[in-house]
Amino acid sequence: MIAMTMLAPAPATPALPVESHPAIVWVALAYFAVVAAISVWASRRTRTAKDFFVAGHGIGLVALTVASVSTSVSGFAFIGGPGLIYSIGLGAMYIVLPASVTNVMGAWVLAKRMRLLGEARGLITVPDAIGARYRSPAAQALSGIAILVGIVGYMATNALAMGVVIDALFGIGIGWGIWIGMGVTLAYSVAGGILAGIYVDVFQGTLMALASVLVFLFVLKVGGGMTGISHRILSVDPAFLGPWGKITPLAALSFFFVFAVGSLGQPQGVHKYYMLRDPLQLRWYPLLKTLGLILVLLLYFGVGVGVKSLVAGGAMPALRAPDEATPAFLLRFTPVVLAAVVFSGVAAATMSAVNSFINIGAAVVTHDLPVALGRRLSNELRWGRISTVVIAIAAAALAQVSGSMVAFLGIFGWGLFACTLVPALAIGLNWDGATREGALASIGTGLVLTLCFETMSYLKVYSFPAGVTVSGLSLVASILVFFAVSWLTRGGRGSEIDPDVRLVMEV
Amino acid sequence: MTRRLALAALAGSALLIAASYATAVLPGGAPPAAGWGMALGIPATLVSLMILGAARPGQGIGRLAWPFAFVGGALVLGFGLALALPADEAAGVPLYLGLPLRAAVILYGIGLMPIAVLPVAYALTFSTQTLSQADIDRVRLAGEAWARGRASVASADSAGGGAHGSVSVDSTTASQDDELAAAAGTVGR
Repeated sequence: MIAMTMLAPAPATPALPVESHPAIVWVALAYFAVVAAISVWASRRTRTAKDFFVAGHGIGLVALTVASVSTSVSGFAFIGGPGLIYSIGLGAMYIVLPASVTNVMGAWVLAKRMRLLGEARGLITVPDAIGARYRSPAAQALSGIAILVGIVGYMATNALAMGVVIDALFGIGIGWGIWIGMGVTLAYSVAGGILAGIYVDVFQGTLMALASVLVFLFVLKVGGGMTGISHRILSVDPAFLGPWGKITPLAALSFFFVFAVGSLGQPQGVHKYYMLRDPLQLRWYPLLKTLGLILVLLLYFGVGVGVKSLVAGGAMPALRAPDEATPAFLLRFTPVVLAAVVFSGVAAATMSAVNSFINIGAAVVTHDLPVALGRRLSNELRWGRISTVVIAIAAAALAQVSGSMVAFLGIFGWGLFACTLVPALAIGLNWDGATREGALASIGTGLVLTLCFETMSYLKVYSFPAGVTVSGLSLVASILVFFAVSWLTRGGRGSEIDPDVRLVMEV
Repeated sequence: MTRRLALAALAGSALLIAASYATAVLPGGAPPAAGWGMALGIPATLVSLMILGAARPGQGIGRLAWPFAFVGGALVLGFGLALALPADEAAGVPLYLGLPLRAAVILYGIGLMPIAVLPVAYALTFSTQTLSQADIDRVRLAGEAWARGRASVASADSAGGGAHGSVSVDSTTASQDDELAAAAGTVGR
């Protein structure tokens, strides 16, 4: 959620300070050419709705891992995240620290069960799994609607972020940046569906991991190692390197809670479990993904503390805005080619996030809602492509016309997914006492609380006390409602489970 | 039993976190106890979710008890030390791997140490605790039985003039449930 806020200022906000250096433009063009080549290749392999939405359950372990890392970090890890560390110190690390636990937790709680549900039932969406678990079209529809609401925010803010980054690369204006970025994304989303998205992610994730390590090494070199960096920061701003940074312990731990438990409800990550070719390859998935994330997040931490140290030591002027941390460091202290790779990678990362969400949104519109209504569409692939175009155009238009509202839309994405999907999906697939009523109540609670609290907060009708986040509050409330309603309705028809689903829950 | 304990711990830790949030509305803001509530509630939530996912009927979590206990303990200890140790970040303090003590505890203890334990434990116990080819084969058979059951209900519906020729998810009959259960070799509730 913070990703969106940091990456996607209102259209009136000045662009990122990237100079239109010829090397940067050429690297960006080469990057887009590779993306185009991958989409042409993928389009020739996309023949059915299953290919379009879950890559035909045919992705190998390494490709899935790199793509999953890529989708997890988005552009936030390279622009918004370092800026947030520069602003609030180590408190910003609580957004990424849970990565040491969440990947393996997701593997135990969801990966096996989701992949086996795909095996048994041929499921292709996250709401599919909820519908099958509770034998409930209503739960499938409600979770689909919750995902759509969250996607509206993510899509619009990522579209704006694309516009900001593409404008920074080519100097064409944010409005044109939005439409060109969306056009490129749309081309490979419509043609190659999630298959194109996966292999674009593999390409850009590999490059970003490499670039992140190199940038981190440059930070250590310029800053005199971690010891030199810390000494300079401690001499002017000791609180920055306190265990909570410049926020309260409750706020920092609230970040940790939301980003740790909430990771189990992010459809762009959970959905990928369906795609693995061989379920037994899950064995190495958490280890590889965690190591990949650590590499990519070196830039997040390194640039955040490195720039703070350089500013503290007088080697850099103070930043005008926190989001300038990465561009300013790259342009001053790294070779232009490395800077160009990172800038292009940020553009590709936002496109990758948009592609994932377009695909998930299209699946909800063309698959989940019709299935929930008992009227399955006859040609899901064709309708999938049509809804991809409609969703993309709507998101780009929303990004361009909604002004400061777009940041608000992006704020609640992560939290909304977390509090609507974690109880019904992550807990429900591991607890046979969960009931249909409990699932519906928890999804409804998460949806209503998040929308109401975020709106009240945005309109300044009510401000929550320091340290209390809307997403944390809504997540814990929806978990408690799930337990309470399931307990109150236990033993009824809503607690019945199909035998094959029960088997998946118990193996 | 293991799952029941994990569920109880999960519900309890959610209540603890909710209580921590609730204290923030008290006059004067959140008391120090709110941080301690989160510091205990978050590790309990994460470990109970992992136990819930890893436990198998009749087997519990087996050897995974050790890595779960280690990581739960490391999280509680890390957050606890960050809360309990005095704030001594200042110029000239000793650094540990380049960071002041409390920051090092958080970044290295919580951000890195679990990586050396949990994914490795997951991989090493995968075939005994998580998934085997036999499990996959049983699930495939159960899925095929379910699909046959759906097809027979759909043909019966359409022979009897069922609405739209479609089948509600709820329409599986008790006898089909029995057939599916037999095919799946499913275990009892």
